[in-house]
Amino acid sequence: MLTVEHVDKSFPVAHGPGAMLRSMIGRSVPRRQILFDVNLRVGRGELFGLLGPNGAGKSTLLKLLATLTVPDRGRMTIDGIDVERDPLGAKRRIGLCTSDERSFYFRLSARQNMEFFGALMGLSGKHLKRRIDECIELVDMREFLDSRFGGFSSGMRMRLTLARALMADPGILFLDEPTRAVDPVHAEELRAMIRSNLVDGAGKTVILATNLLDEAWQLCDRVAVVNRGRIVALGPPRELDVELGAVARYRVTMDEVDEDLLARTRTVPGFRDLRIVRTETGVDLHVEMEPRAGALGALMRAVSWDGSTLRDFRPVETEPVDIFKRVTLDDGGDR
Amino acid sequence: MAAIVNRAPASGLAKVGAIFRRDAVVALSYPGNFALSWLGIVIEVVIAWYISRLVPASPKFSPTGLVAVGYFQFLAVNSAFVHFQSAALNSFAESIRDAQLTGTLEIVLATPTRLTTLVLSSAVWSFTLTAMQTGLYLIVAVMFGLDLSHVNFLTTIVFLVLTVAAVSPLGVLAAALSMVIKKTGPIEWLSTSTAAVFGGVYLPLRSLPYALQVIGWCLPITHALNGFRAAAAGVPLSAAAPDAIWLLAASLILMPFSLWVFAKAVGKARVDGTLSMY
Repeated sequence: MLTVEHVDKSFPVAHGPGAMLRSMIGRSVPRRQILFDVNLRVGRGELFGLLGPNGAGKSTLLKLLATLTVPDRGRMTIDGIDVERDPLGAKRRIGLCTSDERSFYFRLSARQNMEFFGALMGLSGKHLKRRIDECIELVDMREFLDSRFGGFSSGMRMRLTLARALMADPGILFLDEPTRAVDPVHAEELRAMIRSNLVDGAGKTVILATNLLDEAWQLCDRVAVVNRGRIVALGPPRELDVELGAVARYRVTMDEVDEDLLARTRTVPGFRDLRIVRTETGVDLHVEMEPRAGALGALMRAVSWDGSTLRDFRPVETEPVDIFKRVTLDDGGDR
Repeated sequence: MAAIVNRAPASGLAKVGAIFRRDAVVALSYPGNFALSWLGIVIEVVIAWYISRLVPASPKFSPTGLVAVGYFQFLAVNSAFVHFQSAALNSFAESIRDAQLTGTLEIVLATPTRLTTLVLSSAVWSFTLTAMQTGLYLIVAVMFGLDLSHVNFLTTIVFLVLTVAAVSPLGVLAAALSMVIKKTGPIEWLSTSTAAVFGGVYLPLRSLPYALQVIGWCLPITHALNGFRAAAAGVPLSAAAPDAIWLLAASLILMPFSLWVFAKAVGKARVDGTLSMY
């Protein structure tokens, strides 16, 4: 179980001697607010997505939970442990996969890097060796285990970052864009591994920060959309489709349309928008309706009222990108 | 997926060992640089020998001040052991700086390892290498005429331990500074050269004006070099006790203070979100 309660976080805008001097003489240094009153509760064994545009505050939230920075206000707990009061206790329960692919020693091999970080995580002897083998196998890096990290591609580095996060077999994993720069085949394997092995198989709690909508929609039990430091949407992806999409889309294919049909369509209760696309074989009407009871039937009646040839009628699923655009572009944040 | 692993917690010592191995492997992965650093030691001895031929023997170079001693005897011992101070002043801060540059600092700090272990371990390789290179320096210096036939080993070992303990806090303070202001090159250079001049590496402290002698007395390296010169001359530990006690007191005061300052510096970097900035 992981909780975040009323967390605010800001960073100083200016660094360097001037800012230090102001700070030393008690003058305030201008700060930029990154997170505003963030509240979360993530259950054991849940795959929770943090979705948002660049600079939304996703990585900052993960860093707060990983004790790498501290909140201005609020409280965070990991398995009941207060992250600020007992950072060592919290760190024993988490694995961090950063989005910074550089976070290894370039002159060391993958094995030497893993031995080093494993030792700092508290592993030793045979346990350490076994965990290196198991984690390297999971990310399909066995043949590169004794190669120098400096020679790895971006994708290989990210895979090793994920392997490192798994080393101490933590109950809670923070994955910051784990498939960034990874080739499509390995990215798909990593996603399957995260869902099947880590969450469904081993019952781990995973917080996944990502910019990839499909990844979040495909993997996560729940998603929080973060925008300008605020959580602007929270829920299972399919519920977000309905709640935030708040629109049902239909494509109506006909031989021809006339003004009367268009006028009838526009008067259907719940009608929101209509777009006409002429094709070689006819006309497609792209209709947006409020997802209310009876709207679908009313629309069907409207388009077939005078015996017009209705060749096809099908709902169009709301794309995650539409929801993402809606909640991030409509949000009037004050950053 | 593997079953939950029963973690056999690595002791603090195992973590120190891991950090030592990391630093050793990284250093040895630059074989040219590593070899040149050893060659540099030999060249240093040769230069010291040539310079010392221009300076006549004097009682001022003797630990007791009673008998005339050659300048090479004075300079070689000082130059050999002053490397420990350079190692202390540079290695802690360099380690932090390297971690910032390679992007490993955050991930290391995200592991359940105490800050004290992390910062103190970061100089273990450097001190080990310095000890080996000091050994080479002394061997080559003996070939050029350094007299170590009277060495008091107990005095040497005690001063070695006390020197590392007394100069390390200065390095930890430099590391703290590095955490906050990110670059400490000029400060390290200033402190190294100040210590070399006022700590009596090139000139006996008693030949400096009184005000400078006071400054020199306040530096740990002064007392460390007094001790090593005494050990080389066969002086027993009891006779070198004032310097040993000075170093012990400095260690006991400065070490906790420097670790406290370092923890504060890390705390500030965490608050400001500048851990990984460089």
